[in-house]
Amino acid sequence: MNAQAVPVVIFFAAIFTNNILLSNYLGMCSFLSVSREIKTSVGLGVAVIFVMTCTSMLNWVVYHGILVPLGLEYLRFIVFIIVIAAFVQLVEMIIERVSEVLYAALGIFLPLITVNCAILGVSLFMVIREYTFIESFTFGLGSGIGWFLAIMAMAGIRQKLKRARVPHGLEGAGITLIITGMMALAFMGFSGMLPIG
Amino acid sequence: MKKESFFKTRIYPIIFMVVLTLVFISVVSGIYLSTKELVLLNESIFEKKAVLYAAGIDYPEDDTQKIEAVYEERVREVGGEEGRPSYFIVSLPSGETGYVVYTSGAGLWGEIVALFGLKTDMQTLTGVEFVQQNETPGLGARITEDWFKQQFRGKEGPFTMVEEGTADEPDELDAITGATRTSTAVLKIANNVFEVAEAKIKEGN
Amino acid sequence: MPARGKIKKTFFEPLGKNNPVFAQILGICSTLAVTNKLENTVIMCMGVLFTTSLSGFTISLIRKLIPSRVRMMAETLIIASFVIIVDIVLRAYVPDIWKQLGPYVGLIITNCIIMGRAEAFALNNPPGLSLVDGIASGLGYSYVLIVIAFFRELLGTGEIWGLPVLGDWWTNWSIMIMPPGAFFMLAIFVWVVKGVLIKESEEAAK
Repeated sequence: MNAQAVPVVIFFAAIFTNNILLSNYLGMCSFLSVSREIKTSVGLGVAVIFVMTCTSMLNWVVYHGILVPLGLEYLRFIVFIIVIAAFVQLVEMIIERVSEVLYAALGIFLPLITVNCAILGVSLFMVIREYTFIESFTFGLGSGIGWFLAIMAMAGIRQKLKRARVPHGLEGAGITLIITGMMALAFMGFSGMLPIG
Repeated sequence: MKKESFFKTRIYPIIFMVVLTLVFISVVSGIYLSTKELVLLNESIFEKKAVLYAAGIDYPEDDTQKIEAVYEERVREVGGEEGRPSYFIVSLPSGETGYVVYTSGAGLWGEIVALFGLKTDMQTLTGVEFVQQNETPGLGARITEDWFKQQFRGKEGPFTMVEEGTADEPDELDAITGATRTSTAVLKIANNVFEVAEAKIKEGN
Repeated sequence: MPARGKIKKTFFEPLGKNNPVFAQILGICSTLAVTNKLENTVIMCMGVLFTTSLSGFTISLIRKLIPSRVRMMAETLIIASFVIIVDIVLRAYVPDIWKQLGPYVGLIITNCIIMGRAEAFALNNPPGLSLVDGIASGLGYSYVLIVIAFFRELLGTGEIWGLPVLGDWWTNWSIMIMPPGAFFMLAIFVWVVKGVLIKESEEAAK
């Protein structure tokens, strides 16, 4: 019997059954504001997938390669956020140099991502759940895709909402939250999807 | 002067960040070190309380010294390594001898590590405590709630799991509504524990 | 010493109309997860309060020294340090609750409110006022979450602070302890508040 959940299971669980946003509440700020437009949602979503996957791997290496051997695990909050910020900064600079098109599409979202709780959250979960490197990779990738799915769905729904009559007090944040709640409910229906290890 | 000095724009920010970082990291490290002992003590007490809980032995919740005393009196560690014995021989409240074993299995997100208390008949449980779990808060994580753990006392394996609130027979266990996979994982661990215990005790002797 | 009036104003603004949570649903992530239990929420809010007030204070203290190039890095460092302190203290003194809070304590760092207040207020105001602003923001944030937690725990488990309140007749609305429940509760809260605020501004316009 496996002592650890299999990487593939983690991958699918991160997208559907334990979606980083709909089940773990992470990444809400940008989700609520950016999901207004489909185009920007795609841009942000892709950027999130990319950053989430890379930083979870990077942070794993830093944590297990530097912090643990030195007994400095308690500094992980500072170190992780610095790694994330530095990585994002680096990527932004590279994209700016390499491709105008890509920069126009993606580059502007990058600073927004640094404070996205989901990115830091993925790294913190990885530490708490004691994932291996491969598991961190699938977890980061899966969580990113899950977040992307959520924001895309939300953007699509909000497009349709433009024609609906929303009660005054619910406009904006209120109705978005209710929709998020319903999406969370719907995603819970995926529960039966995965057999346990 | 139009242009800001080289010092100000290049050197100063670096010095500033370095100093700031050093200051804050020292403060944080200081606090960390001063609480380290307490953290270790907490963990050791937690493990001791877990063993007592799994064995169904009462202990005063907040009295560290008394907890240690009860533990010394009633529990004997066997095998394994420092801090993680293979299993425990306990003296149950009824006077009988019992065992408490560490066991683990795959949970939804990661390993679930539990302590199961067994009677010598290797079929009846005296209790259970979850030492480590990473299940979904509010759902799977509810396995650590009292009502869920208490139900294991006196139950006889092999077990089956039923809908929350309907467990009747001595071999039935309530699942947690909305946490099917975690509940199933726990069921698996519970059904395996007798095998695990027998193997450990055999090894210990 | 700033005028009494200014202190009062600084304190009350974030609690009412300018409550960062209502205005922009800021900083919800890290705490919404733990609002299924009132006890955990209160502890978490204390952590946020501690971080918001002290980081505001500290940043304000050294505001004239911070070079603009490294502004965000410095703020992040300071905020992260205070969060680590919260984490260490919680682990040492309330280990059971600390375990339940999990990674969400660390996520206080990415709480948009703290960074937001630092940029908007602490950088431009004296330490005393910044401390007050930090405390008020922290409190404004806290009471929203405490109200949500109150209802979630009550309706979801029939208990408050772990103590059974509603009798056996109550069937638990399990949905309340699950994520959808949190989102719905927050939506309702926002609805109520916006309703009140809208009415107020309509009356003021008359």
